[in-house]
Amino acid sequence: MTRPLDSKPHLVKRFRRETPLALVATRGGLILAIICVLIFGALSSPMFLTSGNFLNVLTSMSIIGIIVVGMTFVLVVGGLADLSVPATIACGAILSLALQPILGAIPAFVLAIALAGLCGLVSGVLVGYVGINPIIATLGVGTIVLGIVQSLVGGVIVYGTNPATADFVKGRILGIPVLVLIFAVVAIAGHLVLSRSFWGRWTMATGGNPVTAEASAVPVRVVRAGAFVLTGLCGGLSGALLGLTLQSARPLVGVGYEFSAITAVVVGGISISGGSGSVPRAIIGLLFVQLLTNVMVLNGVRTPDQGFVLGLLIAAAVALDLALRRRGIA
Amino acid sequence: MSTPIIALRMRGITKTFPGVTALSGVNLTVEFGRIHAIVGENGAGKSTLMKILSGVYQPTSGTTEIAGNEVRMTRPADAMRLGIRMVHQELNLAPDLTVAENVFLGRMPKRWGIVDRARMVSDTRELLAKLGAPIDANSQLGDLPISQQQLVEIAKAYAAEPRIIVLDEPTSSLSEGETMALFAILRRMKAQGVAILYISHRLKEVLEIADDVTVLRDGAMVDSRPAAGITAAGMIRHMVGREVTNVFPKTPATIGAPVLQVEGLSDGRHFRNISLEARRGEILGLTGLIGAGRTELARVLFGLERPIGGRILINGKPVSIGSPADAVRNGIAYVPEDRKAMGIVPAMNIRENITLPILRRISKAGRISGSQDESLAKSYVRDLGISPPEPERRISLLSGGNQQKAVIAKWLSTKPSVLILDEPTRGVDVGAKAEIHRIVGELVAQGMAVIMISSELLEVIGVCDRVLVMRDGESVATLDRADLTEERIMALATGEAAA
Repeated sequence: MTRPLDSKPHLVKRFRRETPLALVATRGGLILAIICVLIFGALSSPMFLTSGNFLNVLTSMSIIGIIVVGMTFVLVVGGLADLSVPATIACGAILSLALQPILGAIPAFVLAIALAGLCGLVSGVLVGYVGINPIIATLGVGTIVLGIVQSLVGGVIVYGTNPATADFVKGRILGIPVLVLIFAVVAIAGHLVLSRSFWGRWTMATGGNPVTAEASAVPVRVVRAGAFVLTGLCGGLSGALLGLTLQSARPLVGVGYEFSAITAVVVGGISISGGSGSVPRAIIGLLFVQLLTNVMVLNGVRTPDQGFVLGLLIAAAVALDLALRRRGIA
Repeated sequence: MSTPIIALRMRGITKTFPGVTALSGVNLTVEFGRIHAIVGENGAGKSTLMKILSGVYQPTSGTTEIAGNEVRMTRPADAMRLGIRMVHQELNLAPDLTVAENVFLGRMPKRWGIVDRARMVSDTRELLAKLGAPIDANSQLGDLPISQQQLVEIAKAYAAEPRIIVLDEPTSSLSEGETMALFAILRRMKAQGVAILYISHRLKEVLEIADDVTVLRDGAMVDSRPAAGITAAGMIRHMVGREVTNVFPKTPATIGAPVLQVEGLSDGRHFRNISLEARRGEILGLTGLIGAGRTELARVLFGLERPIGGRILINGKPVSIGSPADAVRNGIAYVPEDRKAMGIVPAMNIRENITLPILRRISKAGRISGSQDESLAKSYVRDLGISPPEPERRISLLSGGNQQKAVIAKWLSTKPSVLILDEPTRGVDVGAKAEIHRIVGELVAQGMAVIMISSELLEVIGVCDRVLVMRDGESVATLDRADLTEERIMALATGEAAA
């Protein structure tokens, strides 16, 4: 069959030029929303604008923030989402505490994170090499790993044995909480890798057009798998920090974190179809969600209603992304 | 009431796309109860015309009459309502459904809102029997061989009781025996008064089955007449016969030693036993009809598919190419046919697209050297005349020709010794086409070996030093520049004796 022209109307539609209004909506909309939340928070609650409250927000943001960095890679590479986060968090939290008496604090910490990374590798191989849908692969791996961890500890709560570790992660360096510092290091490293390294460029290309990427000598399978390994490591780190902070860990300690992380990344304007996005954008999304939640808590909004608001937010962010994509901007 | 004889009359059909005229003033008249063949080279406008007839495209100007009434079709559904059915070359069937479900897809017989399965199956059986197709209505479609799936597709079109049925290359996946069975079916449909449009470049089949023949060339109708008295040679003459002007200036280059040698390469499906040689400073053309296996050959050479037999040698040494990365390491680059699907990452800018295959080379400790990244992109944008000359512009915002130049730039950045270009000028405007030819000329002058896949005979003749003609997955001849004529190539490509 002859195909004289590459005139595909549905593609042409995508190449429409950008309009100034839409650009403002993509670049500045979220900042504007954060300012609105700050003003509303300051007016509605006297507690909001205190340094104690902000440190609280930052600290609770750090644990999820580390996962958001990994999740950003998963979305950008076109891997939809990593649902094994609760398992890798549990892996990090439980093992870093349970192995302390056997290995010592630091080896236990490192091994816990490495094993979480191994879970990520299994998901990554299933997604990248076997070609299983990421939602299914990570859900399956997560369920299995969670089951193993649960049976290892007998389904009970594991307690810490080394209070010094708790003091360290809850401590401050130059007035900044250690958790926040660790998060900052991870975020900056993630940002540099995604924006400046060849790995980051490969990640963007694989998410943007995997066929072209493969035909351009990009090892797309490895790159896809890598995003899940990274998220596994982030989950492990986040879980280990959580475990050390609480000095106790239940197997279900990480449930819900996967959706918080996905919410932040999507609200940050990173497309679920992959190929674009940055760590700072995801963190701005996280900041917005965290501040909004904080304001709601301070104003006594009940938890179910908070969920309702966050749900609406995800739907709105995805709808906006689709609308902009259709105009060829996002 | 007398039935009208004229099933379809298209008058002055013109279709332009930005920068290209695909059809200009085509007239076509098809009668009920006759098989009307439409022939022409790749790109002659056959498919565009059929897309207009099936409501996919709207003509820029011109009128269409169905059974004497002027109609305006804006959607495929409009054409279906008027009794026009298409049988596509690529099958539009659901492999997981049964034959009967496929035949009645979208219009299954219902009883109290529930699909009347028994009636659907019996109707399908009756239909298949009427067509003389020995297929079980209950078998799952995906289990059938392609040829029988093709018959199901035809049965599906026929079940809708069309007045006009369009078949696009229906025999491309059929054996000779199956083709004969198909022809018997077509004759039966014809006897029932259906108007049949038959698109093919297999001229022998056209001569056998068609009552009327229309030849398209460069978007215009050049001949339309009853098939009686027509010969294959006559059709070829009409398909290619045009003034050959030297629109492709050829830069002289010294031809050197072979860089890439292919010996007896087969992929087990699309091509068999291909041998060729690409030399320094030479443009080797690879031509043939669509489906001859040219692109598949290129994909194997570039490591996107694995061969099942044969050898690939670079500079006389056998190499194993298992991935595009291997190919790049061995100095092979491939500019693909489908630019949008395989050539560009649309969300990235020109710079990021150009340096994609060489990121490792311009990185230190994992970090891309910003200055090298920018200077490389800038120099290629300048050298190839990419317009606008802004490396930071998103590649999807460029015209087709400039996107193509960016894709070529991407591959030049790998410093290849063999550059494979697959239909490099398809869908680009005339100016960009000349520039691409100029660039290719300069590359061979610098000693690169170029393999150019092209279906456009004028381009092949104008640009190439030697031409390998492929037909049905086999290499049928290698012609030197002096022996290149359109008639010769077309005769080899179609398997018909030349005039």
